[in-house]
Amino acid sequence: MHYVIIGNGVAGVTAAEAIRQIDARGQITMISDETHPPYCRPMISNLLEGAVDVSRLPIRGPDFYDRLSITPALGSRVTSMDINADTVTTQNGRTFPYDRLLIAAGADPRPVDAQGMDLDGIFFMRNIAQVQDMIAALADTRHALVLGGGLVGFKAAYSLLKRNIAVTMLIRSGYPLSMQVDETAGEMIQQVLCDHGLTVRTGISATAFEGNGRVQSAHLSDGSQIPCEMAIIGKGVFPAHGFVPADRIDTDAGILVDDHMATSAPGIYAAGDVAEHIDIARQKRWVNAIWPEAAAQGRVAGFNMAGQALAYRGSLSRNVMRMFDTDVMTAGRVSPRDTDETCRFFSAHDPRRGTYRRLVFEDQILAGFVMINQIEQGGVLTSLIQSRTPVKISAQHLLDPGFNVSRLIGR
Amino acid sequence: MKEVIVHPERCVGCMQCMLACAAAHSKTGTLISAISESPRPGPRIHVGAGLYNEGFPNRCRHCNPAPCQMACLPGAIYRQTTTNTVLINPDVCINCASCAMACPYGVIRYHADPLAPAGKTIAVKCDNCIARQHKGLIPACVEVCKTGALTFEEMDAAMKKKTDQVARSICAEAVPADNAPGFSLLNTIKRAQKEINLSR
Ligand SMILES: Cc1cc2nc3c(=O)[nH]c(=O)nc-3n(C[C@H](O)[C@H](O)[C@H](O)COP(=O)(O)OP(=O)(O)OC[C@H]3O[C@@H](n4cnc5c(N)ncnc54)[C@H](O)[C@@H]3O)c2cc1C
Ligand code: SF4
Ligand code: SF4
Repeated sequence: MHYVIIGNGVAGVTAAEAIRQIDARGQITMISDETHPPYCRPMISNLLEGAVDVSRLPIRGPDFYDRLSITPALGSRVTSMDINADTVTTQNGRTFPYDRLLIAAGADPRPVDAQGMDLDGIFFMRNIAQVQDMIAALADTRHALVLGGGLVGFKAAYSLLKRNIAVTMLIRSGYPLSMQVDETAGEMIQQVLCDHGLTVRTGISATAFEGNGRVQSAHLSDGSQIPCEMAIIGKGVFPAHGFVPADRIDTDAGILVDDHMATSAPGIYAAGDVAEHIDIARQKRWVNAIWPEAAAQGRVAGFNMAGQALAYRGSLSRNVMRMFDTDVMTAGRVSPRDTDETCRFFSAHDPRRGTYRRLVFEDQILAGFVMINQIEQGGVLTSLIQSRTPVKISAQHLLDPGFNVSRLIGR
Repeated sequence: MKEVIVHPERCVGCMQCMLACAAAHSKTGTLISAISESPRPGPRIHVGAGLYNEGFPNRCRHCNPAPCQMACLPGAIYRQTTTNTVLINPDVCINCASCAMACPYGVIRYHADPLAPAGKTIAVKCDNCIARQHKGLIPACVEVCKTGALTFEEMDAAMKKKTDQVARSICAEAVPADNAPGFSLLNTIKRAQKEINLSR
């Protein structure tokens, strides 16, 4: 049996480990354009901050490939697939035959439509190489612009603030993290960052960058201009399946997969940021491009590829973020984009303690929550969403920061 | 292999286990001197009020598969198979709280700890007192619990079967054809909730 895995991110890694649990002898080839050993992608923001160096990023030991008898094929992207011949081909011309193929190619940053994007000093933040380029450019950076008020934008802004760089964040919507949280939470988060020196401008975007080789300023949609020697684009990501023949493998936003992470083409699987399965809280197809789901999906894909039937429970959008001394945790449907009049809302705000909680219910099923501070027991709520267990006690109990799991499910 | 088993219905809420746990995870190892240590050792078992204000000793269940391990960004969480213990490597932990979002029991806390690198805030949870076990001692919470709410015993086959049955019975929708480990993560979650429910 020859397994080929495209991508050495966490989905590819957990898949390889699952395959090896069952099949000790099959041949595994892992293809990635990145040459670093498998590493913790979220930690590139810690790298930008200067809190860690590259040596702290690997998620497995230096002997990862050897230990699992994996043949790595690094440094070149897969550019095409031949589904009839069961092969994939990389940019440098190598062709790899497979019996089972896993597409775990992750996601690419969403580009922005602005002039002057080819200037130096404008960066995406998705991999180590990009962050290393940013770090090299820090020395001549006094003002930075962050485009986008999502998770990656915030992490970028936080890291640059920690480096004592003046940061302006441009958000097209009315408040930060608008995809993940409600307005009250969004404004609390914005306040924290502003208290620490971040400038946030909402309802605005960049239309053009200007400079002589290196970016010097940006033109904004309100006609104003702002100086910046660095701009970081954090406008979200899209699944990296450009090389997949869409007429042969069903794709939507991501590559469509069933409960076994199998695509519509026999022998071909997909997992991680590139795959689209069912969102538990929304009860519809969705790409949840987050680490824990990539790890879980890779594991399920690996078992199934090696012949052990294993079903995936669906994914849940969720995130946790620590900024300065404020913690934010959110899961499921909370943003006004995701809720409607059929939902019931409960919230509690304690300005003195700096805590805020909002719960979203669909009948008796918890569909989403956001918590600011005192997040230690948030996993209990997450698991309530995941299991879709009817919550029979008063929502007030769940809002109490001191709740204990045992209060959860009444009779 | 012996494991700590929680019997919530026997707990009277005296919180002795919390004190014993903090002392066991201090530098000096005794309660009297532990109080004056810096950082102050914290308990890794949490007795909260249950539904009817009875006690509920809540500690890490060392789930298998462990949702926290799957969620940990830098890969700091691992399983020590010899003692079936889920452990956090304090050197690798980056205090991202990804595990807080994953643990269905809500038993992980974040603080500086006497057993971690100085000044570093990390994720802290029950380690089954493996240091004590090496010396032939039983976990400190079990030793101090006088009501039998915490016991250290062989998880016998019958008991395992019962827990699995419980998990399966409330997880009927979990694609019966795949009697397989993927759903065991969901079972872990269901089990957490069922166990809590059973406490009454
Ligand atoms: C700055 C930042 C912070 C984040 N923070 C969090 C967080 O706090 N919590 C969280 O849950 N998630 C976070 N994420 C998201 C998380 O990193 C991803 O969900 C996760 O890495 C997805 O893993 P994956 O294996 O699916 O894909 P990836 O990690 O993207 O790995 C895919 C690999 O495949 C390679 N590849 C792509 N296409 C090809 C091709 N055609 N041929 C060969 N190789 C290819 C890529 O270069 C990459 O190395 C963050 C992401 C970023 C960028
Ligand atoms: S998920 Fe919670 S209870 Fe389970 S092993 Fe991790 S910390 Fe322990
Ligand atoms: S807080 Fe530490 S143990 Fe928990 S997920 Fe983050 S790195 Fe892992």
